[in-house]
Amino acid sequence: MTRGTRLLSIFLVAALSLGFLFRASAPAARDVAAELRRERGRLLEMKERAKKTASELTEALRKEKLSKGRVGELRARLKRQRSLLSRIDRKVSALNERLDRTEKAVRELEEARGQARTGLLSAEVVAFTGQRVDAGNPWDPSARERERYFMRLRLAADAEGVARITRARERKEEELSGIERQVAVTERKRTQEKKVGETLLSRQMEERSRLAGIEREKKRKQKELKSLRAKIARMEAVVSRVERQVKERERRARKGAQDDAARKAEEAPRRFASLSGGLSAPLPGKVVSRFGRQHDPTFDVTIENRGVEIEAPSGASVKSVGNGEVAFAGAVSGFGNVLIVQHGGGLFSVYGRMETFLVKQGETVRKGTVVGRLPESPSGKSVLYLELRAGGTAVDPASAMSLDR
Amino acid sequence: MSERPSLWWIDWRLSRGALVRETIGRFLFFCLLGAAFLSLLLSGGTSRFLADRFAVTAVLRADVPAAEAEGLARKAAELPPVRSAAYRDPETAWKEFLLAYPGLEPLRAAGGNPLPGYIEVRFRHDRLTGADVNLVVSAMRSVSRVDQVLAGEEWLPRLLHAGRYASWFCRGIFGAFVAGFFLFCRLQERGRAVALAGDFAFLAERGVPAGRLAASRAAGAAVSGFLSAAAGAAAGGGALFLLLREFPSLERVIGPPSDLLLPRTVAAAAVFSCFAALLSAVSSLLGGRAALSGRK
Repeated sequence: MTRGTRLLSIFLVAALSLGFLFRASAPAARDVAAELRRERGRLLEMKERAKKTASELTEALRKEKLSKGRVGELRARLKRQRSLLSRIDRKVSALNERLDRTEKAVRELEEARGQARTGLLSAEVVAFTGQRVDAGNPWDPSARERERYFMRLRLAADAEGVARITRARERKEEELSGIERQVAVTERKRTQEKKVGETLLSRQMEERSRLAGIEREKKRKQKELKSLRAKIARMEAVVSRVERQVKERERRARKGAQDDAARKAEEAPRRFASLSGGLSAPLPGKVVSRFGRQHDPTFDVTIENRGVEIEAPSGASVKSVGNGEVAFAGAVSGFGNVLIVQHGGGLFSVYGRMETFLVKQGETVRKGTVVGRLPESPSGKSVLYLELRAGGTAVDPASAMSLDR
Repeated sequence: MSERPSLWWIDWRLSRGALVRETIGRFLFFCLLGAAFLSLLLSGGTSRFLADRFAVTAVLRADVPAAEAEGLARKAAELPPVRSAAYRDPETAWKEFLLAYPGLEPLRAAGGNPLPGYIEVRFRHDRLTGADVNLVVSAMRSVSRVDQVLAGEEWLPRLLHAGRYASWFCRGIFGAFVAGFFLFCRLQERGRAVALAGDFAFLAERGVPAGRLAASRAAGAAVSGFLSAAAGAAAGGGALFLLLREFPSLERVIGPPSDLLLPRTVAAAAVFSCFAALLSAVSSLLGGRAALSGRK
């Protein structure tokens, strides 16, 4: 809770306390104060909501910017991915064309090799199984010798042709294997890149969906903020008007009651001191907010403290400052759980910002009776609001009991 | 002093019919012998046949131009043992090869010609010897354009041996025929001498010496034999001439018909006739003597 809010709350609880304790003495002022409290409470809530909404809007804008950045980055990555995929597709296409050409060449070479082998075998058959017509003529040995030599030449040429085609085919098959390996590698790469692309697309869609949600939220918050600001403006006008009325009445009342109040203020500590058993501090701790008019440097305003704030360890027990009866135990806006003990003779002690009550309304308590506990805080420190009232006038608790300043 | 009777052609005057028959028979035989003699003479036994069958093949390198190959063939033809040297270009070699191996023709329709050109060197039939073949082979192998020389190193010696044996066989057959002819003539002479023995005895009683009678008869037989042999050789040669012209393929075994008209052939025919005259005279003498001694 900010300091300004706290001041306002204090003001409100004070007004509430006034209204609660002195409802029979000033009904008109009570109505105005109640209305003022109500309006201020609503104004405070609205401002809180406006602030929260503004904060949420800022967060939404930050998220939107972040999300847009992500979407842009994803779009760029997706574009690069698509370009890469396109290049891979072109490469695969070119490899497939090469593959087709090489396969065709291999087939042609295979066919040529088959023909050449068939030719070679047939030539061998012709040469060695007697298909010769005139080559067996024993009367022409020189011609036979020449024909045999030429047949050897021819068979050697055919064998060389077969070997050449075989070598060419083997080379082509090696090339084919290489291309197939390249195609497989490229296909794997394409599959991987496609998966990456799909992931990116999915992420982009998610991000767009999130962005759309954020934009909807932003619009809603903007609308809500706008509405709240309008309400706040109206409410501030109402509060200003009520405050002027309160101030006017206070000015009138102050003039008549100034003397009485001054007298009561002088008497109040004596009255508390005359209580049987006296008063004691509700809990050991340091006073962090003093009684009376105090200047707030943060907001640069002067506020009127009607009590003190005592800093104590979290969860510390709160004891009654004197003998009395529990007049009130319940929640008050801006003060949390509030316990009011009536000590008689118009003396009251008020304990605010408590976590739990250990006594009930109407229950008699004695000095030092544990009436409740402070809330637990991550910092290990909690604050108790303590206010003393004598005859409707706030009394500085430090003047009635010993407090560590 | 008594007049000495003429003994010239005594057999003709005493036994004309028998002599005519024998002469005709001998003429026919001389025709055959003459033809055989001239065939042997021209063919050299089997030399001409072998020379026609045998050739040295100089396979050229693939890059030898045709003009250069032709020039190389002309140079080879100038070698002394060489009868002819002909260049065959690769195309011709391929065609010859396909003729020898007709089954290959459809197999290599799309392929190129793997065969090179070559020079075929043929030898004169009278120079077909191992030494002359080696001479030509060495000469061809020394040429850088020649890739391979095929000269039948494995089978040529056997072929030449076989040719020599075949030639001697042919000549032996001819000699046997001549010997048989001689024996046949001797029997004829003896038979005629026996048939004319009375006449010869009458002449002996009139003072004609037996030796003069035998010499006269031998001279007549020689003249008759020469003329018959010459006529028979001429007739046989003519028949051979016509045969060679009619069947040119025989030229590769015997020789060209024009060789029959060469002077050396005519001279050989004359020698053949003289030899026949000699044989006729000897057979007359031997037949007469066999008749006088009562032997067969």
